Amino acid sequence: MSMTEAGARLHGGAGALRAGLFGAMLAALAAAFIFSIGAGRFSVSPGRIAEIILQWIANPSAPLDSIDQRIVLLVRMPRVLIAAVSGAALAVGGAALQGVFRNPLVSPQVLGISQGAAFGGALAILLGYAGVTLLGLAFIFGLAALVLVGLLARINGRTEIVTVILSGMVIGALFAALVSIVQFLADPNTSLPAIVYWLMGSFSTATWARFWLGLPGLAIGLLAVWLFRYRLNLLALEDTEARSLGVDPDRERWYIFVATALMTATSVAVAGIIGWIGLVVPHAARILVGEDHRVLIPASAILGAAYLTFVDTLARTLTAAEIPLGVLTALIGAPVFGILLRRHFSKANQP
Amino acid sequence: MKVCIATGILSGAFIALAAHAAMADPIEMTDQAGREVRLEGAAERVASIPMPMASTLIAIDGGVEKQVGMNPVAKQAVLEGILGKIYPEAVNIPSDITAPNFIPNVEELAATNPDLVVQWADRGDDLVDPITNAGLTAMLISYGTEEKTREYMTMSAKAMGREDRIGPLIEWREDVASDVAGKASAIADAEKPKVLYLQRAMETLIASGARNNYNTWYIELTGGTSASADLEANGVTINPEQIAEWNPDVILLNNFESDISPERIYDDPILSLTNAAQNHKVYRMPLGGYRWDPPNTESPLTWMWLADLLHPDVFDYDLRAEMKKAYKTIYDYDLTEEDIDNILWIDLNDGAANYDQFKSKS
Repeated sequence: MSMTEAGARLHGGAGALRAGLFGAMLAALAAAFIFSIGAGRFSVSPGRIAEIILQWIANPSAPLDSIDQRIVLLVRMPRVLIAAVSGAALAVGGAALQGVFRNPLVSPQVLGISQGAAFGGALAILLGYAGVTLLGLAFIFGLAALVLVGLLARINGRTEIVTVILSGMVIGALFAALVSIVQFLADPNTSLPAIVYWLMGSFSTATWARFWLGLPGLAIGLLAVWLFRYRLNLLALEDTEARSLGVDPDRERWYIFVATALMTATSVAVAGIIGWIGLVVPHAARILVGEDHRVLIPASAILGAAYLTFVDTLARTLTAAEIPLGVLTALIGAPVFGILLRRHFSKANQP
Repeated sequence: MKVCIATGILSGAFIALAAHAAMADPIEMTDQAGREVRLEGAAERVASIPMPMASTLIAIDGGVEKQVGMNPVAKQAVLEGILGKIYPEAVNIPSDITAPNFIPNVEELAATNPDLVVQWADRGDDLVDPITNAGLTAMLISYGTEEKTREYMTMSAKAMGREDRIGPLIEWREDVASDVAGKASAIADAEKPKVLYLQRAMETLIASGARNNYNTWYIELTGGTSASADLEANGVTINPEQIAEWNPDVILLNNFESDISPERIYDDPILSLTNAAQNHKVYRMPLGGYRWDPPNTESPLTWMWLADLLHPDVFDYDLRAEMKKAYKTIYDYDLTEEDIDNILWIDLNDGAANYDQFKSKS
């Protein structure tokens, strides 16, 4: 057997393993969907759920008269889908930024986008706006944070990675302070609890309208990063090396930043701040499929979708009161991240 | 010469002190944090930091003259609501003694020179120490039950030297509560509707839960059961699915959200299928001198309103007449028919079951 044959066989084996892994991840996503549609405070039997969904597929325009039909199709379905798409977007955003910064501890919060969007949303609640206005303000301030980071980080026509991170911290701190001012000014009897709850993250206001409002931003961001999956591998190289391969790292980084800002601001706008997804999920995906962004990006998307769908289901079913999602993702995320981190480094440090 | 002046000043001061002492006996009481509060005489200048206290103090004193400071959010409510109409001079009351967060702005507070500062009893020493460290007298109040409400109302009246006014207010509460309870005792458990009070409903749905809270208390007093009584805490976010599972017979909407109306429930795909919406039993609670949802000086009107709504066959309070009587007693104000319509949200609640009984008969 020649060396090339062995290499090909090895490669084929890895391909089969990878296909199996993706199959398992997709199965996990499907399981999360089925579990989430079935679970809820209002009891609907699994048989009835299947019947409702089949009826709906056969005749989507039929009027929904009974409460169980509406709960399954108008409450749980949009909520599960928003959670899934947001989970995918947050995880992919994290994976992309980690690639760009060559640092596995980076997340969308680093660029100040989440804080900017949080300020926009909190301001909207303080002023008594809800729905589209809240979404719009969160999005506008999320993007504003990114633009400010861009302006601040651009020195003599060049943008260094370290200045981007530091600018992100500065702008993030600025918007965090503005959020505090909004909380300070808010009426403790009325808007303050709503702001605090919204900042902790929740899909409790999910509707189809909100799903369609959030979908474009999330989908465009996801698609953009997926199209850049090959370039991300090049961006992970040293700048001089990347340039020699015909990539303008400065410009391409900004494409990724804008795509990430779009996804993060949209997800904050539809659901508040949900932390840890962008940090934990890409890390888990990297352990499963490796560093290659061509597979890491789709793997992060699938795992992120399955994970957030599952966690959101826990948030809305465990107790009669809705548990804020950000609290759950942090409670689950922090220890999982700790374990992953230790395992990763103990393997990396093996002689 | 100097000695003469000093003697003159001293004797003058002595005479003034003696006169003051003769005029006002010191007032001593224990506040709701268990602290001893001592005032040299009836408080003529009162600053209140908890929001609901502003309207309470105005009601107990029957005017705004003694109010030297209040929470900015409370002042906004006073100016926008009926109290601003009854007492237009309320516009001059300073509201920079605190931010909405109840932390006193001691400099501003001291500048208003209050005899008494009313503050929360159960939200930590950080809200209280700045007041007492500045040498001001604080009276701490605690919120949430009818018993506590009567207690702090009585304390406030004593502090302002208006004990003449508190008797009737407390008696009225006792009379109405026992009258409602007496009539409600005949109602069989099976006849008691499941009532859900939504503290917020515009964006997120927040139910007031917990067995012992004030909303549950008056729902049960008036012959209902609380749909959200199995929640462990107060003011928790729930989802529409949970409300569908409870399927309340009556939904009460709050006054904390200024734009809310029963349409919010009737237009919701899920909530519109609850018994409450199907039978048009969704009501926005009235908004008088203060919001009628939490405990306030007008609470007996809340109880009569809800009793008439839940069991029109058992209760037949003439709410409009009761309101006129109450506002005359509390604020010395003659409510117009239009005032009453506004307080009861007659337009907003129009078409709701049993609501016609509250319309003007004239």
